[in-house]
Amino acid sequence: MGSSLNKPELIKDGKRLDGRAFDELRPLKIEAGVLKNADGSAYLEWGNNKVLAAVYGPREAMPKHMTDPTKGIVKCRYSMAPFSGIDDHGRSGPNRRSTEISKVAKEAFENVILLNDYPSGMIEIFMEILQSDGGTRAAGITAASVALANAGIHMKDMMYAVSAGRIDEHIVLDVNMIEDNYSDADMPMVIAPRNNDVLLLQMDGGLDKGQFDQAVKMVLEAGKKIHEVQKRALEDYYNMREGK
Amino acid sequence: MRSLIFPGEEAQSARHAPCTYCENGRVFSSAVGMLDTERGGVVPLEGPWVPRIGEQVVGTVTDSKNHVYTVDLSYYCRALIIGSRYDRESMEIGDVIEATIKNIEDGGVIILSYPKMLLGGVLVNIKPAKVPRVIGKEDTMVRQIESLTRTRMVVGRNGTAWIKGKPQDTELAICAISLIERKAHQQGLTEAVKVMLENESRNKKGE
Repeated sequence: MGSSLNKPELIKDGKRLDGRAFDELRPLKIEAGVLKNADGSAYLEWGNNKVLAAVYGPREAMPKHMTDPTKGIVKCRYSMAPFSGIDDHGRSGPNRRSTEISKVAKEAFENVILLNDYPSGMIEIFMEILQSDGGTRAAGITAASVALANAGIHMKDMMYAVSAGRIDEHIVLDVNMIEDNYSDADMPMVIAPRNNDVLLLQMDGGLDKGQFDQAVKMVLEAGKKIHEVQKRALEDYYNMREGK
Repeated sequence: MRSLIFPGEEAQSARHAPCTYCENGRVFSSAVGMLDTERGGVVPLEGPWVPRIGEQVVGTVTDSKNHVYTVDLSYYCRALIIGSRYDRESMEIGDVIEATIKNIEDGGVIILSYPKMLLGGVLVNIKPAKVPRVIGKEDTMVRQIESLTRTRMVVGRNGTAWIKGKPQDTELAICAISLIERKAHQQGLTEAVKVMLENESRNKKGE
């Protein structure tokens, strides 16, 4: 995290450092079905974030004692490639941060996947961050959601994730790495768009009620665009495959 | 007219149609698929097999103990045939069988009944989402492939098909299946398969 002492000027002439407006998303591109061996997969580029997500299953639940005869279980792995970050993520493998993100992502996915259709089964979701620039958990979950749909796993909704933050008194959408490090608040959210159900909400820093409402409004508004990109990725994949 | 539908979008279909779920009296799609407005329901483009009672499956016997046979259906749960010692013929490990799902027990264990041995032939894997098209409406597609290629075919809902015939005929039948897999969601598929098979057999005769 950055210190408030050397905080750079994050907002200049009403624009953010990368020239975006407060409620503007970074360019988002998703491609579905990129991995042949996975049951479902997606590649996502969101600004400078690059994420590969893969889904396997349903397969036999492992370890055995985790098996639930009434419904399937979800296993989720978020991991940052050792070459992904500007800061030192020098070691690959699980660490405190990736274990936490894997857990919260898993709980979000459990809410949308129709697990009763897969008794004693296990669905594995992998999110591999190849290049990070802030908001990687949001990028990972958005990509994994497309991968799940691509795998044909039954689910209630195709969720998306995006973060909002506060820089001084301004609420901004989709914070990047430098804004994340020096901002006064950062709030990633995962939304199931059908009813706008909130499946994950984390907050680092502080927002008052008015600011929180504004952030949620911004997230929901941007979510429409993200959801469209997710749908288009799947549409393109199937149109191409069916040779239309 | 068919159009693409995504998870969470409202599907104008009957309750309990495949690949849908019901909430507050409304039916939503649970997979990416084509909305079939004529028959109602969602035809998934991809996805694992979800077993249902009464479905016909094809598998290989992998274990046998005290007249209880374990069958590999390329599915993550176990499938069992519970026989009795009065059965006229017993199965052996490696035998290929077709059977009907009698029951699905807690934990997803599938109980099969009416096993029939399939002797000889080859097994072909089909994507489970494409199986309904390979079978066709009232088995029309399977029967067509059988008659045009002079083979015998049994297609299991679990995504395993058994084909028996002369090697070149079997090869032709496999070509037809892969054509269906590739073009599963296009209309006029029966005709396309017929044209392909007739052309191929004409070419073979020409050689």
